[in-house]
Amino acid sequence: MEIETIYKRVERNVDQAAVKLIRSKITQIRFSNNNIDISNEWNEELASVFLAKNGRTFIFELKNEKDLEKIVPVSISAIDKLEKNDDFVSLNDKKNTYRKKRMRDEKLREIEGHEFVNSFIDEVKPFVKRVGGVFYKKEIEDSVLTPFNSGTQKQFGVEFVSRAFDENDYPVQLSIATSTDEELPELLKQGEEVLDLAKKIRNVKEGVEGKYNVIFSPLCFASLVSYTIPMASAFQIDSGMSMFADRMGERIGKSSFTVYDDPSDDSMFNSGAFDDEGSPTKKTPVIEKGVVKNFLHNFSTAKKYDVETTGNAGIVNPSPWQISVEPGNEEVEDMISSMRRGLFINNTWYTRFQDYREGVLSTIPRDGIFLIENGEIKESWGGIRISDSLLNMYKNIEGLSRETKKVKWWDETMHTKSPFVEVGDVNISRSK
Amino acid sequence: MEEFVERALDYASKKATYAEARYCSSQRNVVLMKNGTVSATGYSVDSGLAIRLLNRSIAFSSVNVPDWGVIREEIDKAAKASEMIGRNKFSSEVPVKDSWKVDQKKKIEDFSFEDRVQKMRELDDLLAGEKISMRILSLNDNIEEEYNTSSEGMSLRSRLPKISFFAMIGFMENGSFEQGTVEVGYSGGYEALDVWKLEQRLKHESDVLKKAARAKKVSDGKYDLVAGPEISGIVAHESCGHPTELDRIFGREMAQAGESFIKKNNRGMRVGSDIVNLVDDPTLDHSFGFYRYDRDGVRAKKRYLYKNGLINDFLSNRESAGRMEEKSNGASRSSEWDKEPLVRMSTTYIEPKDHNFEELIESVKEGIYMKSFTEWNIDDIRFNEKYVGREAYHIQNGVIKEVIRRPVIETTTINFYSSIDAIGKDLEFSAGTCGKGDPMQGVDVWMGGPHIRLRDLNVR
Repeated sequence: MEIETIYKRVERNVDQAAVKLIRSKITQIRFSNNNIDISNEWNEELASVFLAKNGRTFIFELKNEKDLEKIVPVSISAIDKLEKNDDFVSLNDKKNTYRKKRMRDEKLREIEGHEFVNSFIDEVKPFVKRVGGVFYKKEIEDSVLTPFNSGTQKQFGVEFVSRAFDENDYPVQLSIATSTDEELPELLKQGEEVLDLAKKIRNVKEGVEGKYNVIFSPLCFASLVSYTIPMASAFQIDSGMSMFADRMGERIGKSSFTVYDDPSDDSMFNSGAFDDEGSPTKKTPVIEKGVVKNFLHNFSTAKKYDVETTGNAGIVNPSPWQISVEPGNEEVEDMISSMRRGLFINNTWYTRFQDYREGVLSTIPRDGIFLIENGEIKESWGGIRISDSLLNMYKNIEGLSRETKKVKWWDETMHTKSPFVEVGDVNISRSK
Repeated sequence: MEEFVERALDYASKKATYAEARYCSSQRNVVLMKNGTVSATGYSVDSGLAIRLLNRSIAFSSVNVPDWGVIREEIDKAAKASEMIGRNKFSSEVPVKDSWKVDQKKKIEDFSFEDRVQKMRELDDLLAGEKISMRILSLNDNIEEEYNTSSEGMSLRSRLPKISFFAMIGFMENGSFEQGTVEVGYSGGYEALDVWKLEQRLKHESDVLKKAARAKKVSDGKYDLVAGPEISGIVAHESCGHPTELDRIFGREMAQAGESFIKKNNRGMRVGSDIVNLVDDPTLDHSFGFYRYDRDGVRAKKRYLYKNGLINDFLSNRESAGRMEEKSNGASRSSEWDKEPLVRMSTTYIEPKDHNFEELIESVKEGIYMKSFTEWNIDDIRFNEKYVGREAYHIQNGVIKEVIRRPVIETTTINFYSSIDAIGKDLEFSAGTCGKGDPMQGVDVWMGGPHIRLRDLNVR
């Protein structure tokens, strides 16, 4: 498909049109229990078209240019009969310039997925009962064309997730996601790292309820902020279903806690120079020193809130690019060695909220829940649940590590850079 | 792209011991309304060609570029990938030639965007009138057409229209907040709106939130539990449907959604009291997860997953059944054309028995009637689970008393099913989107059951 062809086909019928064309080539290899299950390839194009006319808006998507002749008459006919969309003001009507992304991925591109996966399995399987995971190599080109702006940008990255089970079937899991050759050594060390984590497993037991200080790994903390930061979208704020609603300027975390939406970090896959309506992107602190600092905006929501766009269109729903948690100055080893009694939690999943306004949730830790006593791992737990609230946990942050990791796992974590984070008095529950 | 199916199959068949070529097209419409504003109205056509090859391992490729050179290149890449050593056993099945469709009484094609927006406006006005200040509503429809072929001779054409509605609503009073959802889905046309009675449902849900926001929590302790169909359904889905997925039992989802407390040789193991039967059935008319043949071309059928409290059957596709050296029971689904088919549920439910509602309640001295849920989750072997009540009442001496706020049950799969001592004769379903796979595939499902009674559960 050609973006100009699509744009020309629609622009004469409406006041404003924005076309986004994504070309993706993705390779994936999934493996479980020491064997490859499937190799997946995607070679696709997707065009998303936003139309505005007389205050009314309509969106259509297509994957085949031939469908344009079917879709355009339906869309044009529909838009005239719709109600006005009061959320929409305009596409970004300034002529913008964009930074050039720094792509340093020549060596990453040379990685052959099957070789990488087989080599990883061979390295790890002698020391654990079984291992599984997923390897991704993603290459995406997206272009945006509006009446005021146009641009094309590329993304390239490698993601790797591994989960190893020891002889007692106790699992540990790691994730790495990178777009820079500089982190190739870390990618190649995943076998070593997952084995190091597996070596920490001892005295496997069912967990015990109570309040604990918890050191969250970057993978685990990334999951918590991945549920948090999308709630800063102005769409979510408007809906009321957000822990950020009515909290602009309010303290919701310790002063050591700063979280950005950071599309400017090109070492991460989901960086970007412009958004879906042609606004330039920028690094936006959502929570700064524990205080709610910014919501995430497109051009229209920004007008409504009387601020500048943060470059997060989604023309309907502004959304974060990738998350960066400001590191602290502690060494991970010191955080563990100074813990009198608490938990190290390596991963979590199945996070669900009973109250979006207060961030009341539960989530199920997994893949390495270690009881620490007097600075040493004493037991490895299973069967527990964090039943608490994001607001409580962020207010109880006691320390952040200097070290950060870049992770992306399945649907549980967005592309996130996070340190290890210690939180006090986390409520742990379990089945009875 | 449909014009490339035969050519692609012919070319792929020469490069694999087994090949599939599948064209699929989905036409979707959506209206999204937020607190009274029509935030988005949209139409999409998602179509393309999927290829699956079997040699020394499985390879899946999806392409929507209508160029034979690009398609051939993708098949070549998939053929090369499938030569890597991995798993490669499919169950042996008789290839089917057939076509099927679901009829619509009120056709999606005849339902205009004005009609859709008008309906949403009516529903939003109703909620606003009930002082529900936080409202996100979406109305979706989809017509999926598929042409699925294989080197063994499978040739299946299908047309499946679906409608769904989702509402997320929140009520706030004096700083006390409650949130709730209404989710319904239907295979067929817009006659779904006559079936769903959305006005009644939304009015009821509004009342539930208002009462819950003013209610108090119950004291921690042991209670009998009468669970409504929505609870029966989520439990059936999470702690029977998921753990009996055979690919999960084999560990194929080990790095994502996890595995199962059930092992491949556990058929016959007791997991509940002997009155407990759990079913998954893709053939229920107008069910949200309806299909006549699965993505592997295997005929859909009703399956008893738990029977008389014992593990009875697993959900399987050709890949997992092949590893078990069994026939597939037709649970192969994918959310879109460009995702690999996996073992999935359809409509999963606790089978009704003989009690009416009054009989379930009358012998409860100290209990909870939990009719619907808000927060819930379950661990990655589908054993430790939590359900927080949304609409819930205190029961004392056989009488339903006051509304209680967010009662919490944290229990295990075996404890839950073993505590069931009576099962109602009613049966209701609710719709949901079931997540699994990498990349995540959300497939349409129903889940449900009757009212059920459990004895002596910990509640807080």
